Amino acid sequence: MKRRDLIKIGLAGLATPTLVRVAHAQTATLNMYTNSDANISDFWTNIIKPAFEAANPGVSINVVIAREGGGTGVIAERALAALQTGTGPQLDMIEQHDPMLPAGGIDAGLWVNWAEAGLANYGRVNPLAIQTPFGLPYRGSQVLLAYDTTKLSPADAPRTWAELSDWIKANPGQFIYNRPDKGGSGGNFVRRAIHEANGRDPSVFRIDNFDAATSPAMLEAGFALLSDLAPHLFDNGAYTSGNANSIQLLAQGAVTMIPAWSDMALQAINQGVLPETTGLIQLQDLALAGGFSQSVVASNAENLEAAVALADFILSDAMQTAVITEIGGFPGVSWDVLPAELRERYADVVPTSIPTFPGGDWGAAISDGWYRTVAPNVTRD
Amino acid sequence: MGTLIVWPIVRAILDTLIVTGPEGTRVSLASYRFFFNDGYSLGNLRITAWTTAVSVAILMTIALPISIYLRFATGRVAAVVQALAIFPLFVPSIILAYAFIRVLGPNGMVDIILNSAGLPRIRSPYLTVWGPVIGFVWDNMPLSVVILMAGLSNVTNHAVEAARDVGAGRIAVLVHIILPRIWPSILVATSFVVLGLFSAFTFPYLLGPAAPEMMGPFMLRTFGDVMDPVQARTQAVVTFAICAVFGWFYVRSIARNRARAAA
Repeated sequence: MKRRDLIKIGLAGLATPTLVRVAHAQTATLNMYTNSDANISDFWTNIIKPAFEAANPGVSINVVIAREGGGTGVIAERALAALQTGTGPQLDMIEQHDPMLPAGGIDAGLWVNWAEAGLANYGRVNPLAIQTPFGLPYRGSQVLLAYDTTKLSPADAPRTWAELSDWIKANPGQFIYNRPDKGGSGGNFVRRAIHEANGRDPSVFRIDNFDAATSPAMLEAGFALLSDLAPHLFDNGAYTSGNANSIQLLAQGAVTMIPAWSDMALQAINQGVLPETTGLIQLQDLALAGGFSQSVVASNAENLEAAVALADFILSDAMQTAVITEIGGFPGVSWDVLPAELRERYADVVPTSIPTFPGGDWGAAISDGWYRTVAPNVTRD
Repeated sequence: MGTLIVWPIVRAILDTLIVTGPEGTRVSLASYRFFFNDGYSLGNLRITAWTTAVSVAILMTIALPISIYLRFATGRVAAVVQALAIFPLFVPSIILAYAFIRVLGPNGMVDIILNSAGLPRIRSPYLTVWGPVIGFVWDNMPLSVVILMAGLSNVTNHAVEAARDVGAGRIAVLVHIILPRIWPSILVATSFVVLGLFSAFTFPYLLGPAAPEMMGPFMLRTFGDVMDPVQARTQAVVTFAICAVFGWFYVRSIARNRARAAA
């Protein structure tokens, strides 16, 4: 079946919501994959799944956690292979996946084009968050610095990279970030160093401009800044193995400051994992990178109609409000379409811009380069 | 077994040797040449060997006295010791790793106890090479104790009593009566633990340092993040070759036991 035909079906279903309900009266199980941290898989299991199932009797969501190993990459490759052989991909939606992967997937028509899918809520999506019409941004977050206000007064908290660097050196052992490939908080801290060493201009790095001849030198300049910080980090240059492990060290009072995802930090404070005295601050000269999750739906999905209905559902007011209140994320829709009261309460965390950093070859080069140049730089007594 | 184990191994080895370039397909040792000339890769192999050797040495030093004690002791204390030695078998290693961080990590339970007793805090093994070693020793204790105790059942009370009657001391009994009988079991336990440790993932990932990495996390990262499947397979083949040596120890020991039983 051609993608256009499938989209037509999606369009027809959405234009007549009652018919969709009738169609759903027969049972359907949506396979929804996630590769995100536990806060996001819990959000799907505890909030989105029950709400969507209540609104669509007969449809259930199977939240599949695909962490580690190949993550969602192998699932998407399987869907592409299934598309080529005309079989079912056993995949309806991936909550967060780079639509550029697998290579050639978009050209083959693997992912539903949201601009043409006729979602009722697509017009409300924040234009800043749309990278490609094949990924549907429904939640965002950004890395910021979380610190212990009992040890560092908010007035003295660093606001630029230079101040942060000075603070780390003046307070040895009080800062730690995780290995850049093991979680975005440390990953985007490393990318912020690379931005710093390359004129603080995120537009220099694009998904398609990695050059094996010149790019490694750009990364090396950032690694040099990090190697300079290494001896002043926790335990003379230790790096945790994930976002949650850094939060654990901050919670145990072992360090004073860490980079953290805004949503994870807010949730940790709400749940009491981090104390009320935890401060959050963003660098003002250039923010740490972040991004919006890109939801994709396979055009050959077994339950295409229901999957497209789910995509529309996660952009609804109720779910977008839950993104803010339940997981401390940024909404995928524009802030001004949400209730004014919500807007005022979260005014401090509403970002004006979110720098991003491309994946692909850049990500591979950062992982390889950081482990070879920065990580071994440990001084142990 | 052929399709699930042997064929993937053969394919992995072939993939690392056969290079398809512009001038056609040919056999090349380039990926191995890179591995054995790359200081970073060799460092990772070295730390894997070091961690394995140190863990096995510590493990045997602790497991052997425990199993000998359990073989000859009776009563309630022995039952408690046995339960404690076997307990880690029922705790998943990921739980163990997080418990480790809470207890031995910075500002963990040990630090709090030391601090309340007015003692200086210890330097936490978390995120150092000793982190995985402690995890491995704890995690592999039950397997080693069980294998060694099985071997010790070959040591009859008669033999020990006979040796005592002719005036042998404790050390003499250990060296001349017990060790020769359980030597195959020590070899089997060592092989098992080495095989498990060499490609271990959870403990080095959660408790070890960022660099050098053990082969398990290194292979996964090379495959998934550096996106270099050929180099990841090369690392896997090197790891496999080393493990095969210990596998051979194990097979030889089993074969000898069978031959002895048949004779």
